[in-house]
Amino acid sequence: MILDELTRHLEKTEAEYAEMRYQRRQIFSVTVKDGKVENLDKGMISGVCVRTLIDGSWGFSSTTVIDKENIENTINDAISLAKASKTKKKRKVRLVEVEPKIDSYETPMEKDPRREDLTQLLELALEVDEHVRSYSKSIVSDSIRLLIVDDDLAFISSEGARITQRIVRCSGNALVIARAKGNLASTYESIGAQAGLEVYSEDALLKAALKAAERAGRIAPRRVVPGGYHHVILENRIVGLLAHEAVGHCAEADLIHGGSFLADKMGKKVASKMITLIDDGTLPSGYGTMKYDDEGTETKKTVIIEEGTVKHFLHSRETAYQFETEPTGNARAWSFEYDPIIRMRNTYIAPKDQTLEELIEDVRDGYLLRGGGGGQADFNGEFMFGTQEAIKIENGELKESYRGATISGNAFEVLQKVEAVGGDFTLSIGMCGKEQVNFVGIGGPSIRTHILVGGR
Amino acid sequence: MELLGVAEKTVKRCEEVGFDEAEAYVQRRKNVEIVLERGEIQSERIKTRQGLGIRLIKDKKVGFAHTSVLKEETVDKLCKEALGLVNASISNPEWISLPTKKCCYRKPSGIYDEDIEVLGSGDFLSLVIEACDAVEEVDKRVHIDDGKLVASTFEVAIANSHGISLRERGTAISFFLVCIARENGSASSFAYEYDISRTLKGFSPGRVGELAAKKALASLNPKSIESFEGEVLLSPDVAAEILFTPVINSINADNVQRGRSVWADRINWEVASSNLSLIDDGLLPNGINSFPFDAEGVPSQRTLIIDKGVLKAFIYDSYTANKEGVESTGNASRSDYSTPPSVSISNLIVEEGRGKFEDLIQDVERGIVINRFSGNVNPQSGDFSGLAKQASYIENGEVKFPLKETMISGNSFTALKNIIDIGEEKRATFTGVYTPPILIKDLKIVSKH
Repeated sequence: MILDELTRHLEKTEAEYAEMRYQRRQIFSVTVKDGKVENLDKGMISGVCVRTLIDGSWGFSSTTVIDKENIENTINDAISLAKASKTKKKRKVRLVEVEPKIDSYETPMEKDPRREDLTQLLELALEVDEHVRSYSKSIVSDSIRLLIVDDDLAFISSEGARITQRIVRCSGNALVIARAKGNLASTYESIGAQAGLEVYSEDALLKAALKAAERAGRIAPRRVVPGGYHHVILENRIVGLLAHEAVGHCAEADLIHGGSFLADKMGKKVASKMITLIDDGTLPSGYGTMKYDDEGTETKKTVIIEEGTVKHFLHSRETAYQFETEPTGNARAWSFEYDPIIRMRNTYIAPKDQTLEELIEDVRDGYLLRGGGGGQADFNGEFMFGTQEAIKIENGELKESYRGATISGNAFEVLQKVEAVGGDFTLSIGMCGKEQVNFVGIGGPSIRTHILVGGR
Repeated sequence: MELLGVAEKTVKRCEEVGFDEAEAYVQRRKNVEIVLERGEIQSERIKTRQGLGIRLIKDKKVGFAHTSVLKEETVDKLCKEALGLVNASISNPEWISLPTKKCCYRKPSGIYDEDIEVLGSGDFLSLVIEACDAVEEVDKRVHIDDGKLVASTFEVAIANSHGISLRERGTAISFFLVCIARENGSASSFAYEYDISRTLKGFSPGRVGELAAKKALASLNPKSIESFEGEVLLSPDVAAEILFTPVINSINADNVQRGRSVWADRINWEVASSNLSLIDDGLLPNGINSFPFDAEGVPSQRTLIIDKGVLKAFIYDSYTANKEGVESTGNASRSDYSTPPSVSISNLIVEEGRGKFEDLIQDVERGIVINRFSGNVNPQSGDFSGLAKQASYIENGEVKFPLKETMISGNSFTALKNIIDIGEEKRATFTGVYTPPILIKDLKIVSKH
């Protein structure tokens, strides 16, 4: 058992605190492009990392070669890094107390990919690709990708924690490219969850892919949406981007410490009373769900904004000590090659009760923005992210379609101006980059507000 | 462990298991990474990693497998599992073959520096401190937001069923820094600066710190302007993203063959202003992506892509080249051993024009200069829109004042035809594009206020 071996190494360290993580990531992916199997990939990456705390300074080292000699070298590297840098650090790291857990956890699954024949996924990808290509003549190319990431994780600490988790994530996506009048348009949709192969049931991937195909055909001959400050409805699938990119990051305690928008807003009103915004590590099937974070802290549901008022920030053990509060289980690492930092898990705006149609009814002159694109945010709440399509709304009715453009603004201004929150909640998958990437869930219902659209 | 031996043995074993062709790509890498957050050292990491990626072909069915465990029994088991999957796949009639053995590999100069390999983490830490000190020296109002130094030493070995058997090593070092200036309760926009190199010679985090700090200071007290259409000077970084992301997509033979490139039938057409010439050069001395061979063992080369505005060639790996019956241009690339090769640029070089910054803006009646862009560029359609950050207003040939966040939008393919001037000082960017600043006309500038 690898845990016993690692524990023996850990017992010998001179550090005041040390932790080791082991990870084995098994990957299966299939990509079908234009009717051909472009990639069929099966792989496994495993490794061990050590993080040590010496006199208030961290050191971190990792290796993919798991034998006695390499693990010893890795521990020594982590110790020497911690010692070398301590004079250069302004602040001593201290950790809030948590009960060292001995536990194990596994993603609840109906169809465990380890027990299923994976060739069925190849057939699925081929079938979806076939439907997409025959959807309309304007479609010139497509890619359908299915990905299974199956992680075995172990965490042990010098405090006595011993946690094993198996986290399985299944996802699929479709990229569709259509051509009209010499112009190309590309659209993208994805599905996924922390779950087994049941993610692909009920034609979920086919439905998403056809949605992308339909949209690509529709916007290819169209112009880009006119730029300006518009009355808009953000479709449910892109509200999660706003919740995550623009608001969530400002609640991460390391950014709070750096002076983010929310730094002096605890207990203050920062959004419309209609807005409740949550980061939840326990949401069943959420892409960012884990029972324990990568510091061995049990995750929880953290309400960041409750009816417009700031309630909680997101913490690691280190920032919880600094802020004299409880850790929230937000310390996450992309892999054994990274040290845990404060990351969101599943971030969403809580739904109310209006339907999308009701939201549209009250728009005299505006746009329904659909389909997400890449996004970024500064910790002052300024954000931008792409949209794929803008549908004109006139006197409460949907009219012609435009290619989408980047939207931007200050998230808290946008959330102050929210007029209505829908009931059509949806949770999507996302990849978030903050020096290291990670799997996150993002969600929300459709909302009505005002926003700056960078069109032409 | 000797990497080429592992590669050759793996190929042999895969053939024995029942594959028609096999290719093994073995990589070993050591990274030292130092991460700055809010002006403090957040993380330092030493990462040692090795792994093997195998391309496997049977009856024109193509599969891929990867593992970080190089033990014979693990590789053996993986090959057998992959065989089951590949058998269940469908044939690709367009598959011809893995590349065959070529002659004439040339090693670009300046791709390995022993100093990077032997330096300790303390030495790299000193480089980061040097940058932090440089920021402080410029002005106390400037603060570091984030930054990262990565020093890598790596070794690659490739072997395949057709006699390719190659090994080479390299080094790289990069550093970036984001600074912000604060004064009387207001803050500047985030100023970004960086340096990338294959060797320690010429690599200067201190200069990065100094430049980032100066940029942050220069953007204090910004003003807003009315929306207008005018000339825009793109810094190398911004030009690489806005102008060349769609170019990189469109010259990729895989996209051309799939109808994903608007330039699919445009060879010998004028696709850009006549002052633009573009070369992909995998052999560029000290080039950030330079290597004697590409990710499937084909010799690196120099390919003229755009000659005075006229599109001349696409870039190919062996699969896309075989499909058309042409030679690979040595443009197969992988981010890591764990991904199969695909077509990518090596060092994409914009031929330098004439003129320093002042010369470029001297004829600008009304325009802006952009040093950072935060937005989206659609690689297929070329539509882009987003925030011009670290931007300044230009009037009658002079920089007047820093701008509050302003949105820009346009189309890259149109912008390529609207290039007025190209500067004389080209710079490497993290994307692999080497470009000087570029001046374009007729861009829509949307005021946020």
